[in-house]
Amino acid sequence: MTVQTERPPSGPTDVAKSDGGNSQGPRRPRARAGALAPYLLLLPAVAATVVFLGWPLVNNGILSFQNLNMRQVILHLTEWNGFDNYKEVLSSEDFWRVTGRSIAFTAINVVLIMVLGTLIGLLLARLGSKMRVLLLFGLVLAWAMPVVASTTVYQWLFAQRYGVVNWVLAKAGWSSMADYDWMGGQYSTFFVIITLIVWQSIPFVAINLYAATTTIPKELYEAASLDGANAWKQFTSVTLPFMRPFLYATTFLEVIWVFKAFVQVYTINQGGPDRLTEILPVYAYIEGAGNQHYGMGSAIAMLTIVILLLLTAYHLRIVLKQEEDEL
Amino acid sequence: MKRSLIGRVWPNVVAVILFIGLVFPVYWMIATAFKPTGDIISEDPVWIPFDVTFEHFKTAVDADHFGRMVINSITVTVLAVVFALVIGLLSAFALARMRFKGRRGFIIGFMLAQMAPWEVMVIAIYMIVRDADMLNSLVPLTLFYMVMILPFTLLTLRGFVAAVPKELEESAMVDGCTRMQAFRRVILPLLAPGLMSTSLFGFITAWNEFPIALLLNKDGEAKTLPAWLPSFQTVYGDDWGATMAASTIFAIPILLLFVFLQRRAVAGLTDGAVKG
Amino acid sequence: MKRKLIAAIGVAGMLVSVAACGGDDKDGKKSGADGFKGETLTLWAMDGSTPDAWTKDVKAAFEKKTGAKLKLEVQQWNGIQQKLTAALSEENPPDVFEIGNTQTPAYAKTGGLADLSDLKESIGADWTESINKSSVVDGKQYAAPWFVLNRVVIYNKKIWADAGIKELPKTRDDFYAALKKIGQKTDAEPIYLPGQNWYHFVGLAIGEGAELVKKDGDKYVSNLDDPKVAKAVETYKKFQALSEAPKNKDEATPQQAEVFAKGKTGAFIGMSWEAATAVKASKGGKIEKDIGYFTIPGATAAKPEGVFLGGSNLAVAATSPKQELAKEFLKIALSDKFEGQLAKEGGVIPNKTALEANLKGNAAAEAMAPAAAGGGTTPLIPEWGAVENEPNPIKNYLTAVMNGESPADAAKKVEGEFNKRLAQKQ
Repeated sequence: MTVQTERPPSGPTDVAKSDGGNSQGPRRPRARAGALAPYLLLLPAVAATVVFLGWPLVNNGILSFQNLNMRQVILHLTEWNGFDNYKEVLSSEDFWRVTGRSIAFTAINVVLIMVLGTLIGLLLARLGSKMRVLLLFGLVLAWAMPVVASTTVYQWLFAQRYGVVNWVLAKAGWSSMADYDWMGGQYSTFFVIITLIVWQSIPFVAINLYAATTTIPKELYEAASLDGANAWKQFTSVTLPFMRPFLYATTFLEVIWVFKAFVQVYTINQGGPDRLTEILPVYAYIEGAGNQHYGMGSAIAMLTIVILLLLTAYHLRIVLKQEEDEL
Repeated sequence: MKRSLIGRVWPNVVAVILFIGLVFPVYWMIATAFKPTGDIISEDPVWIPFDVTFEHFKTAVDADHFGRMVINSITVTVLAVVFALVIGLLSAFALARMRFKGRRGFIIGFMLAQMAPWEVMVIAIYMIVRDADMLNSLVPLTLFYMVMILPFTLLTLRGFVAAVPKELEESAMVDGCTRMQAFRRVILPLLAPGLMSTSLFGFITAWNEFPIALLLNKDGEAKTLPAWLPSFQTVYGDDWGATMAASTIFAIPILLLFVFLQRRAVAGLTDGAVKG
Repeated sequence: MKRKLIAAIGVAGMLVSVAACGGDDKDGKKSGADGFKGETLTLWAMDGSTPDAWTKDVKAAFEKKTGAKLKLEVQQWNGIQQKLTAALSEENPPDVFEIGNTQTPAYAKTGGLADLSDLKESIGADWTESINKSSVVDGKQYAAPWFVLNRVVIYNKKIWADAGIKELPKTRDDFYAALKKIGQKTDAEPIYLPGQNWYHFVGLAIGEGAELVKKDGDKYVSNLDDPKVAKAVETYKKFQALSEAPKNKDEATPQQAEVFAKGKTGAFIGMSWEAATAVKASKGGKIEKDIGYFTIPGATAAKPEGVFLGGSNLAVAATSPKQELAKEFLKIALSDKFEGQLAKEGGVIPNKTALEANLKGNAAAEAMAPAAAGGGTTPLIPEWGAVENEPNPIKNYLTAVMNGESPADAAKKVEGEFNKRLAQKQ
């Protein structure tokens, strides 16, 4: 991977001039002595991950082939039921509906987060220093707010009767909103959840994007403007290519985080009304822990993992290819 | 002329609107925490709590085992973050600087680990810990949190390590440093911002985690703070004032950490994110 | 079939081990004062169930009699089932725990509750039959009845006086007329009734003599399409229409007592202790002098409205190594002295009719008592446990009707979910 010598610790990497720094071939003869060194360095991380993630994962897989309810948990009974849980889940219309909904939910959120986050990041770069500090402060506050706390506040903001949002809308002349029940419908509930998630996630994208823009060499813009490029052209020909790896990687992270947004969705309205806002992790929780039908919950969890893998496969392939070219 | 004036004004206007939108939920949490109960449930919102009360904070802090929970939460979170940083840094160094067989496999492996849906594996984790007779202990929580934040930490740090010019390291080694010394004296100081911004992410994640904590540590003395937040939504109804007061207190450590790390953190996550 | 066999073996194994535990304790001849010195008994009680003075006195008496310590851990209702299931599977479960009456049969079937039949023999001869019913499964006593509660009308005397209402309503129609009058004559909200106060709905259904589930072959299915249930939900809807409360929330969000505390609500249907919440929430507690209670009026003056008897039992964990000590505790906590004190201090209906005298002078409890006789519970079947898990299909049924769907359509809408839960594998 390329090294940014001009701004060592925080400059973005892997940028336009990507070939320049790639020194192919053997670099350090001394390293031969330590052929084992990388493996030793990796050992603690790998061991910890295998034990504390791999083991629960395998255990989860085992549980997914069992009929495991209150009784079996309490009495420590193991009742194998083969593929029954999977058959039941896969043949239920609910599961597929929830899966489709999860994917759409993730897509909408991630697009909003990335677009708005990028715009705010660019805005930060454009602001004067005082306004920039103010906006950064706002972003940091929103970012630092614990998920559980912010979810509670949102519930409260959008409450039907004493919620601030309804009060403001009503005062602003939209009187039918005075008693609007946000949790009453699928879309309005999703609106609240999406607002919450986007609000929580934008700071990460915006702040990092801003930080990344500060590392774009000024000369690139100068060259572009000499070529007569307008603002939009500069953006597409300089900023965007420079940001591309960053955007890819951030999108990947956001996909993972949004897809797994259990706390927000569950706390706001428990997947309601009528189970219409359940996404996969919520569905797994309600069917598993909520209904004390743990084997079923484990099966849904396994399927959730598979679906998340499929969603991110594209990115993982890019990474694989990219890593091939490196070092 | 006119156009450029608008051009100069609109970013500021947008920034102010955004600022209000971003900060309002946080403000509302804090303001609610200071309002008397009568002002919290109110037909017309009480925008600014002139009639300030500390009653909700008192309720929140007076909860059973509060002190213990604070200590537990801090212990678990700090240890998990520190372990993750140390272990992660070792791997990050290997992945960023060394060539070896299977390197790609390790990277993909950690990316997969990053996707683990912990929330839905709670029962599997619970049964392991129960059968190992380790319930109500801080050890499993610390270890699980460490692994939860390890992939992100490691992959992010890898970006930071990669961003340190090799030449620096090499020249240090030419000056007679061993590789270890070169690492300690040259690379580590340059990694400081990276370590800080990464630790911030880890801290937030571990501090907030609750599905696992609730099931593993049910004993009063072993609970962590996330068990405390919802405890004001009781059979007597939701004590919003106390809930908000507790949420405010709960947010303080993270806010402090942000303020403390601010400059360094803000510039931070980019590199890792790019690599991640 | 095989599953059932394995289950049967499991139960048998359980019984053996319980018996073994009992045996051990007897061998130790640990009885009388100081026989349990150094031991600690853990009690899980739900939030709000243990009044302070009662707790203190019971603790003292328990420690004096047995020499052991009592550790009380107050639990939140939210997520309690999963927590209890997990705890019961552990090596050190809570020795004694409070369990909701409607949840008891489901847990009795899991093998997690110790058999308390001998306790029933020694101290439970005069436990009120209707209250004890939830603890008995297949003829065995799996828990000890602790207390029950039912809802009453809590009203604002000042608003009712302002509306010119002189006499408290005796029938459902009187009640409705009075609320209407409040709506016309004052600017107060006549009643605060959210769409999902489902325990009140269960009460109305009991009043109509309706069953929420019916047997279909050897399994239970939804009976929400019964015209009697429809009648109950229509009554609910009629009163709900007088309220501005959310149709898709239950009485806890926001807490109805806190709304009432504003002094702009004529009445609400709630538990007696909610009055205290209202007092606490009102500025300077000034609502206190205006609070009154009356029994929810029924269709005729002769019989009050049907009510849901919410209650709690005390159970002993089957795996607890302290079976004898746990029983000692139950004997003390459920003794006439402390059961009476609980009724007096907590305003709850005690487990023996003879102790109801303790409710005298407690306005709320006196309003509660007349309806208790005609009260009931949700179906006391193990299959019921899963129905109450969120998202509760009955709550969704209510919201659908409140939002204008016909009871029949609403019943059809939630039937799938309801039946699925009733059929859930145990």
